[in-house]
Amino acid sequence: MRLASGAFLLSACLFAAGEYAGSDRCRACHPDITSTFFRNAHAKKILGGKEDVTGADLSRRGCESCHGPGKAHVDAKGGKTNIIAFSQLTAAKTLDQCLACHTQQFPRSNIRRSPHTTGEVGCSSCHSIHNLARQRLEQSQLARLSASIPAVSSPAAVAHSARGSLALGQPELCYGCHQNVRAQFSMPFKHRVNEGFMQCTDCHNPHGVSAPTWRMAARPRMVDQALINEEACLKCHVAQRGPFAFEHAATRVDGCESCHTPHGSANARLLKRPAVFTLCLECHNGAPGFGRDPSVGVPIQSPSHSMTNPRYQNCTACHVRIHGSNADARFLR
Amino acid sequence: MTALAPVLTMLALLSQQPVAPTPEVVGAARGEDWLGYNIRQSFELGVRTMGVDGDRDKYRSDVNYRNGLRLLSSKLDMQSREGDGKLFDRLSLSTLGLGNDPYQFASFTVEKNSIYRYDLAWRENAYFNPAVAIADGRHRLDTTRRLQDHALTLFPGRNFQVFGGYSRNSQSGPGLTTYNLFDQHRGDVATLLADVRRQQNEYRLGGEAKFAGFKLIVVRNWEFFKDDTRDFADTATPGEDPTDGTTLTRLSRAQPNHGSSPGWRTNLFTERTKRFAVNARLTWVAGRRNFVFDETAIGTDRFGNGRNRQTIVVGDARRPVLAANATVSVFPTESLTIANHTSFTQTRIEGESRFAEFNNSLAGINFTSFEFLGIRMISNSTDAQYQLGPKASVHGGYHFSERRIRSIQDEIFTEQTNRLNAGALGFRLRPFAGFSIHVDGELGRANNPFYPTSEKNYHGLSSRVQYKRRALTLGAQAKSNYNFNSVSLFAHSARARSYSVDGSWQARDWLGFDANYSKQHLDTLTGIAFFYQGILSENERSWYVSNVHTFFGGVRASIRKRVDLYAAHSYVKDAGGPSRPNVLSYFRDFQSLPFVFQAPMFRISIPVTRDLRWNAGYQFYKYGGPVADGYRAHTAYVSLLWSF
Repeated sequence: MRLASGAFLLSACLFAAGEYAGSDRCRACHPDITSTFFRNAHAKKILGGKEDVTGADLSRRGCESCHGPGKAHVDAKGGKTNIIAFSQLTAAKTLDQCLACHTQQFPRSNIRRSPHTTGEVGCSSCHSIHNLARQRLEQSQLARLSASIPAVSSPAAVAHSARGSLALGQPELCYGCHQNVRAQFSMPFKHRVNEGFMQCTDCHNPHGVSAPTWRMAARPRMVDQALINEEACLKCHVAQRGPFAFEHAATRVDGCESCHTPHGSANARLLKRPAVFTLCLECHNGAPGFGRDPSVGVPIQSPSHSMTNPRYQNCTACHVRIHGSNADARFLR
Repeated sequence: MTALAPVLTMLALLSQQPVAPTPEVVGAARGEDWLGYNIRQSFELGVRTMGVDGDRDKYRSDVNYRNGLRLLSSKLDMQSREGDGKLFDRLSLSTLGLGNDPYQFASFTVEKNSIYRYDLAWRENAYFNPAVAIADGRHRLDTTRRLQDHALTLFPGRNFQVFGGYSRNSQSGPGLTTYNLFDQHRGDVATLLADVRRQQNEYRLGGEAKFAGFKLIVVRNWEFFKDDTRDFADTATPGEDPTDGTTLTRLSRAQPNHGSSPGWRTNLFTERTKRFAVNARLTWVAGRRNFVFDETAIGTDRFGNGRNRQTIVVGDARRPVLAANATVSVFPTESLTIANHTSFTQTRIEGESRFAEFNNSLAGINFTSFEFLGIRMISNSTDAQYQLGPKASVHGGYHFSERRIRSIQDEIFTEQTNRLNAGALGFRLRPFAGFSIHVDGELGRANNPFYPTSEKNYHGLSSRVQYKRRALTLGAQAKSNYNFNSVSLFAHSARARSYSVDGSWQARDWLGFDANYSKQHLDTLTGIAFFYQGILSENERSWYVSNVHTFFGGVRASIRKRVDLYAAHSYVKDAGGPSRPNVLSYFRDFQSLPFVFQAPMFRISIPVTRDLRWNAGYQFYKYGGPVADGYRAHTAYVSLLWSF
């Protein structure tokens, strides 16, 4: 009732202004949208009383707060040129339109420099305001699958997508462009994204992030940070957070990706190499110019370690605290 | 609601993994109306079965579904139609895999428009990893990880908001670990039992306010962590090497590690005109861990002499991290956006520790040692995007960063400065409706990479072509990332390339196809040095090649709009690479890891009544490779989906 009365007042004011038509007029031709609008996140503005339906600012109400003045659209009995139709906008224009309200939120504070934004992947590339994932599922179940959906999905994904007004649930939405990532999550060792235990957004912020505090602050450009200034891995793998009396500098300086492949790998523990010693020796080769003391390089192993002996090829069998230790500088315990 | 059941089930059938629940999707607009709420609900109850032939540990590591009764999924959604609910306007609950699935999930949201919003996410993962390639499988873990996040927001969407939150992350269960006995360089290795017990609790409290065109967000958080994992050996254990006399008679090790990481984060933002926006962020987190290491080990050394050793370490480690960022975005014209980002990060890892060790009742060493590591990094990047028209845009950027690392290791102080210059360029084209071309390139030069495998001279190139037209979607992508890092004696090069094609075709209302293929190539060549029977070998190369082919294909059909079918096949193969005799001659077997992992699946869903559907699914897994023995697993489920 409140919505209806608000819309009535709104339409009255808008007609008076001569440019706006009011949301009531929208219902006549778009019942598929308006009849389900109470489920839409944007309905909260009206239902929650946040829209001042009696105020003077006509441009911030109802349908026309996003789609602009609609009287010409109504008078012409439709059309995409006489109203703001998001399907006709460039990514940059869509972004401007959405950011009129959504810009000042913490997770989106870097959206202007996000690789998605600069790459012209706009809001409507992922979000569908009138066609949420769960609605779309019902409206056209087979057509929806034509958008390259993988074999796996989960209620978790659908629930999550609905929360963000996504056009499709994670990870299917992300796989739509990042096909190589789908392959990575199909590996024998992987984070459980396809199983619904994790979401892409557990680690990534598609709206852009501040410069990472590891590596050289240039890449990766879409990985969110744990406790604000650490690698995303440490959100869950808290035992590796430290600080330790003896840090393995690789984890702190260049990050977990020095040794691990986060999405998926053929190797146990998501390691970059099938055998641990090859992974270690690629850095621990004594080449000068690297490591904490560039004059000596990253320390080479002890001469007592005959690397052709399988016993010494399992580096972490002895160096068990490889992420950092409080008791031994060589991570032995 | 009941009219939706066939549709919903069809969706469920198509979108689920056979061994995962059928994700019944609650209706969007219909449902039952009650006291002003629109309510939709569904439950899927089923039974899983599985059988494994071969390496059961590897199956548990890869798949891990087991037999038993499950509440495979459930959903409840209540939505106020007019926004005038007494206690709430929206309530939503969804679950996945409750009962004993290895991946369980529940989310709950309750909200009263503009008054409050509460979100809960709960997850549990039964994590099993035999770690066959790690320490010969003696680092296996059979733990349960539980994650929960609570978030409460007061006055959501208003000019002044208050929010609080709580998160818990715990890991517990049995595991194995190894222990280097009595001699750091030639000592033998024994296997220990581990009782893993770790927990982190995080509390958050903050608020945000809008005033005079600005928005200010302030959040205070407190993180508490404790690791009470205990390692022990209760029975006499011979070492791994039968040729020496090392034995471990008894070991007890307690190493509690408790600490906190309180922090602040603030964010100030304004976009007052259509010409510029400013975003400033400041965070500070002070990590601290207090630790004790108390270990008693009794046994014999490699010469057979009796040894007893007690080690005690106490101390604390601190890591304050300061991060500040500022982004200025300028929009000189409607077509041009320029964003400049400056960041500053300072990390200091410092602390104190005292080490005491007693060997055979004689005090060995007693000293204080701590390795300081300080990292300060300043970076600046500028990105610009220009819209050439509705069909084309270009973008580019330049990044500079400088990192200073100070270190005290073995009481030797060192300092180094690393710099990186990187540039990016790309364009987008939409020559006609439905067709798009995306190309991006990046080039970076670092003067002093920290590790031989770090990025030094790197470049990346990616391109994507996509065509979408009604029932047909076609896409292709190519991506490459090369890094070359060399010094006089050693070299490292990493070449990663990936290619993928995908397509989806809705042939009929009742028939659809999906397929994608991806190839990922990785080729790394790295100079290594190692000792071979006491002789230093410096001219070896570690060469690793991986060629992963991934294929997925699926067919979905609805027979007479009643029986829904879905069949698919997932195939992953690492073809490895050719052997290169002159490279890493001692360890040729480690130059690649070929394997095949495939999982065909089939699902069916049949309506029983208007509200009830019968579902069944089967999936076969097959893994074969050199590290694990391989396995063949049959998994299936039968379920009833009840929507009302």
